[in-house]
Amino acid sequence: MKEQILKIKENSIEEMKKCNDLKTLNDLKVKYLGKKGELTLVLRQMGNIQPEERPIIGELVNQVRDELNVLIEEKEKELKREELLKKLETENIDVTEPSKKINLGSLHPITQIINEVEEIFLGMGYEIADGPEVEKAIYNFDKLNTPPDHPARDLQDTFYINDEIVLRSQTSPVQARVMENQKPPIKIICPGAVYRSDSVDATHSPVFHQIEGLVIDKNISMADLKGTLEMFAKKCLGENTKIRFRPHHFPFTEPSAEADVSCFVCGGKGCRVCKQEGWIELLGCGMVHPNVLTNCGIDPKEYSGFAFGFGVERIAMAKFGIEDMRLIFENDVRFLKQF
Amino acid sequence: MKASVEWLKEYSDIDVDAIKLGDILTMTGSKVETIEQKGNDIKNVVVGKILEIKKHPDADKLVVTKVDIGGEIVQIVTGANNIKENDIVPIAKDGSELPGGVKIKKGQLRGIDSCGMMCSVGELGLELSDYPGQIEHGIMILDKSLEKELGKNIVDVLNLKEDIIDFEITSNRPDCLSIEGLGRETAVSLNKEFKNPRKNIDEQKVEDKKEIEGLTVEITAPDLCYRYIARMVKNVKIGPSPEWMKRRLKACGVRSINNIVDITNYVMLEMGQPMHAFDINSIEGKHITVRRARNGEKITTLDEQERELDENDLVISDKNKAVAIAGVMGGLNSEIEDDTQTVVFESAVFYGGGVRKTAKKVGLRTEASSRFEKGLSSENALRAINRAIELVELIGAGEAIEGKIDVYPTKQKINKIPLEVEKINNLLGIQLSKQEMINILEKLEIKVENDMAIAPYFRMDLEFVADLAEEILRFYGYDKLETTLANAETTIGTRNKEQKIQKKITEILVNSGLSEIYTYGFVSQKDLEQSKIKESLIENAITIQNPLSEEYKLMRPTTVPSMMQMLANNANKKNQNVKLFDISRNYKNINNEIENGEVPLQENILTIGMYGDDTDFYTLKGLVENILEAISVNRYDIEKETQNTSYHPGRCANLKVGIDTIATIGEVHPEVLANYDIEKRAYLAEINITKLVKYSRENKKYVEVPKFPAVERDIAMLVDEKIEVGQIEKIITKKGKKLLESIKLFDIYRNEKLGENKKSVAYSLIFRDKNKTLSDEEINQAMESIIEELQKTIGAELRGI
Repeated sequence: MKEQILKIKENSIEEMKKCNDLKTLNDLKVKYLGKKGELTLVLRQMGNIQPEERPIIGELVNQVRDELNVLIEEKEKELKREELLKKLETENIDVTEPSKKINLGSLHPITQIINEVEEIFLGMGYEIADGPEVEKAIYNFDKLNTPPDHPARDLQDTFYINDEIVLRSQTSPVQARVMENQKPPIKIICPGAVYRSDSVDATHSPVFHQIEGLVIDKNISMADLKGTLEMFAKKCLGENTKIRFRPHHFPFTEPSAEADVSCFVCGGKGCRVCKQEGWIELLGCGMVHPNVLTNCGIDPKEYSGFAFGFGVERIAMAKFGIEDMRLIFENDVRFLKQF
Repeated sequence: MKASVEWLKEYSDIDVDAIKLGDILTMTGSKVETIEQKGNDIKNVVVGKILEIKKHPDADKLVVTKVDIGGEIVQIVTGANNIKENDIVPIAKDGSELPGGVKIKKGQLRGIDSCGMMCSVGELGLELSDYPGQIEHGIMILDKSLEKELGKNIVDVLNLKEDIIDFEITSNRPDCLSIEGLGRETAVSLNKEFKNPRKNIDEQKVEDKKEIEGLTVEITAPDLCYRYIARMVKNVKIGPSPEWMKRRLKACGVRSINNIVDITNYVMLEMGQPMHAFDINSIEGKHITVRRARNGEKITTLDEQERELDENDLVISDKNKAVAIAGVMGGLNSEIEDDTQTVVFESAVFYGGGVRKTAKKVGLRTEASSRFEKGLSSENALRAINRAIELVELIGAGEAIEGKIDVYPTKQKINKIPLEVEKINNLLGIQLSKQEMINILEKLEIKVENDMAIAPYFRMDLEFVADLAEEILRFYGYDKLETTLANAETTIGTRNKEQKIQKKITEILVNSGLSEIYTYGFVSQKDLEQSKIKESLIENAITIQNPLSEEYKLMRPTTVPSMMQMLANNANKKNQNVKLFDISRNYKNINNEIENGEVPLQENILTIGMYGDDTDFYTLKGLVENILEAISVNRYDIEKETQNTSYHPGRCANLKVGIDTIATIGEVHPEVLANYDIEKRAYLAEINITKLVKYSRENKKYVEVPKFPAVERDIAMLVDEKIEVGQIEKIITKKGKKLLESIKLFDIYRNEKLGENKKSVAYSLIFRDKNKTLSDEEINQAMESIIEELQKTIGAELRGI
């Protein structure tokens, strides 16, 4: 009987080795360990053996059953793994086939520049201010130290709606409005569309965008202006950017300056973008003229401030290498999608 | 303002080249636009003498010459036929360069060696008009006296070298629209002494007279004319000006006319004071009146154009008629003629704003008007006229008559400004001592007495301490300014609600595949009509007085035409799937704001436009709903809109909060599409961001995730086609009360069997009580109430599912 049991064990192990699939394994399990399995049948024959041998045989049967169970379980795991590997192999895909993506849209290059500038100045504690585009002439000119007969009104040919209302030719009227309505300290930037009577060509547009900045507080100096613009230029155009001030004249600032930055295309060596000069004219700026402060209800004896402003299109064109300004307003999706 | 370096040298030593000078002056505020270096492009061209001319053996039209180029004899073959032996000519030697980058090398012409080239006036880059007697197609024949200069550089011999710098002068510095002013800036910038060659003029005293040779002067508009000085010259001999004067005029871009006219221009360039000269015979009654023009008064100016004036314009008039538009241009009727014998010189100062307006109105911006409009010094006017008389005598153009008539009703104010050292240092962020400041100011002829800075007569722009600060900074050095950050109160930079909303919307749109565009606020009447904008809205458009063109004449009352144009542009370029958005403004004159001098309504509008695959009314609607959800605008109604003429009457809706329309969405009207040549169906949405801001709830609150299970019931019904599902949903929501958590439309079905103009609509309803598990009874009750109402109000027939 003992031999019979060991024979069963031997046979089953032998069969297990040959087993290649889960179904056969299951059949095998039934054949040897099932209710009508060979090992169970052995137990049924227990009546035919000596009572004293019964426990020994019983123990042996249990031992063999346990062993077989473990082996079957292991085999089962092995076969399952094999099966999975086969399945994984059949599920192989070509990862270089086209994707099923949701197409992204695009932000206009002008917005991208404005966003970048806004983030820098928000980080420096500036707020973003806005105002009307169809604006009173007194805000566009008079309050900014440009009375009706001022020669500076010639510099920028303005669109008039009537004698009192114009299309703002600069974003500065926003500054005047903020100064009238807010007590210092004032730290704002004002991005927006402005209008000048220029015909459309590769470098001109009757509508373009400006960003102006204004700071009013006690003891604000021109060195602060230069420091602020230098920091802005480094953040916006690269850490190695240098800034240069040249004297200039604007009716709303005194002293006034034009600020150049080292060319961000060639780094100052001279290239097509900077016309071989190494410098690019970036913006106009200066200390807010005492007349402007007074006109807007701020005492120039107590407060001083600086202002600066630049054209967004020019920066965008230089930065993105856009050579014709008309592309910016043509809005061809093949242009837009590149940004 | 163009200036030759040669002329500037009269005012100070200049020991740097033109390029360096330009750099230095740019950094002190006289910005250089261009530098022209004449003569630099001619290299190795010398004076030569033709010794022999022989026929070319193999070419009828060529000759072979021997030329002495200063101790060396060269053979040159030429086709020129205006030369003869012993002529003195310019020779471009082997290895020479001519203007335009032309290089001359020795070679052979029809087999004969030619070692250089004889030059024409044009080949040397010179102008025929400057060299009388020379011909265009032929060699330049030099004066015989130059025989002693054989072999010398032609640039030196003909004095061709000239550096001309063109400056951009800012409007506050009319004094720098003169060589004298630029000379002063140059001297201070180079730290050299200002020589003041007009010292004699400054010290000259000329007797005042009421009348000279019968001439009298009167100003009847002293608000427009601050000073008028007249001096006279007799026995005038009109003729050409001397070469040096012509040359300087030319360098500054002024054409030589005759000696008297040239003197007026020369003085203007030298001292910045425009002048005028009249023939005394053209002044009827020998009486000059500076007066306002009469309305409709006409004058023909020197350029032979008739100009019409009105009482805002100032004229110089004789007894009967205007002889000049003050500060702008002289009249043809008083022009200097070849036989003029007695000349009246005028040096006057007019109100700048008035000259500017007149010049603009008559469309004449002259050298004179562009100076006057910036406001000129009355003190300088006297110096200028005395200088003119000096020049008349110097070049022998006539004889000065003693005395001057000087009408000077309003004395020029001399500005005195306190020199506040600390304030200046604080404003600039520098540390200069008082003495250092005074040193800079005095170089600029700004005297400092008792801590008051006294602006010189030619610096009328200096009024405030800030102006002094700029002068100090200019010569302290803008480049020496340190870079500091304001030591000020801390401020927090944040976007406001509208800016945040706008940013969020932009992100959603970009992530949804839309491209942002930028449009002009201008539209034309035709654009509005093409987009079928309703008349009542067109009436709100704002008209530009001086538009660039008809196309850009109106400020748009709606953004629709701008978006349609951009869709059309893309359709025209055959771009297949186009999804665009634009956030910009409309401009509406609703309550006569424009007429009352007030700012009109300008709303911030998001405009979406799309055509192509995967776009229909419902995708657009979904996009707009997503936007509203993202910015927490949760309560709004969607109503059909049939009256908006830009849209398909059956496919347009308004989104409303109460009675306030916050958005309009729909399919573009086929006629509008046809007007823009767009072949595919296109969709538009206008979303009023200005209004949305009001309805956006910023405070979000957490609502507990439900603990008790939901019960789902489906309902299907047959209704008339004309019943909108929105109406059905309203009934279900109303009757479902609090237990109804949500409803979802899952099927709309149309079929002949259902009957004509009928549709089947199926919803799934989710019920839930947040405090307990709902019983069947409660739900049945709710369902019954819903069904009853649907049957009653819209005649819905319930269908089995």
